[in-house]
Amino acid sequence: MNVRRHLLEAATLVSAAVLCALVANALASRERKLALVGSYPNAVTVPASPTTDADPKPIPVATAPTQLPIEEKRPGPTPPAAPKAGASPVGSEAKSPSSPADLTRRFPPHNKPYVEISGDDAAWLFARGMLVLDARRTKDFEAGHIAGSRSFPVWESDIDARVTALVGEGRDGAIPVVLYCSGGDCEDSHMLAQKLYGGGFNNLLVYRDGWPDWQKRGGRSATGPES
Amino acid sequence: MIARLTPREALTSPWLTVRVQIALGIFFVVAALPKLVDPPSFAHMIYNYRLVPGAFVNFFALVMPWFELLLGLALILGIWTRTSAALVGALLLFFIAAISLNLARGNAIDCGCFDVSAANRTVEERLTDMRLVVLRDVGMLAMVAQILWAKGRAGAAAPVTS
Repeated sequence: MNVRRHLLEAATLVSAAVLCALVANALASRERKLALVGSYPNAVTVPASPTTDADPKPIPVATAPTQLPIEEKRPGPTPPAAPKAGASPVGSEAKSPSSPADLTRRFPPHNKPYVEISGDDAAWLFARGMLVLDARRTKDFEAGHIAGSRSFPVWESDIDARVTALVGEGRDGAIPVVLYCSGGDCEDSHMLAQKLYGGGFNNLLVYRDGWPDWQKRGGRSATGPES
Repeated sequence: MIARLTPREALTSPWLTVRVQIALGIFFVVAALPKLVDPPSFAHMIYNYRLVPGAFVNFFALVMPWFELLLGLALILGIWTRTSAALVGALLLFFIAAISLNLARGNAIDCGCFDVSAANRTVEERLTDMRLVVLRDVGMLAMVAQILWAKGRAGAAAPVTS
């Protein structure tokens, strides 16, 4: 029997794979590198219902179990509808400042990792200059993003450093922060919200339909790295 | 003059075994390359399976492609063939189990087998693709079985084997 020899060969192959992986990761660029120990709290939790349809149907607001959906509570400004030819795109108007009291009246701190919001809410917040975070990969961010948004790619190795830096800016955790990714079944913005919630942010709003919806609305966007 | 082979002799002939080995090796090398190029996207794919604890997702995403690459190369080059084929078989069984479990619980995912970019597909398209992936993996398991069978017979015939 050559069992011992086969086991030794198998162990050698596994060890070589681990060694190659560690060396390649150490030499990889920031965008290709991974932290060796991941931090994904819902990694073994199956999503409640599949929402992976390619055609972007409206997706119901899924969270906020203890409060009415934000959309229903607000008297708010008429949000821009789907873009028509000649219509002014979302965010093309001058940003209208709101007092923190106005903002928190309409989007009160919710003591949850996140609440999902619609594109109308995202446009309203964008128009008031709220912080917008893009959770997609760097290459996707550079290909196009919501103007003025900041890149927080949750699948890249420096995400924790970016989160720590943002927390260190000493922002008021009650002021709304909008997070988005690719819409559909993308959960990157939800994962980012969970990281930020631990850093004291208490009013994280996930723009559920994300970048594809923003593009469809004709929202103001930019390309290239974070400015 | 062509010697007439029995089905067993034909299925375990070195001519066939070498070709099956190379084909299976190429499958694994081709599968490994996109994962090596973009480990974060592959980590995302592994996460979507909802089977690997969060702490291990990245490690898995880093090591798995190298393991596939080394196994593929070993098969192509004929190095440690029986061990490599057995490990490929074990990996395929693991893949089949992972996809079948997600099919059973209705978690429609992109398999991440040969492409790590998220495809913009419907739930139904993804579930159909997952069923096809299981069938494909079963076919590859048959290739593994052929290699192990042929090598086993060769080993029995000649005590000194590769």
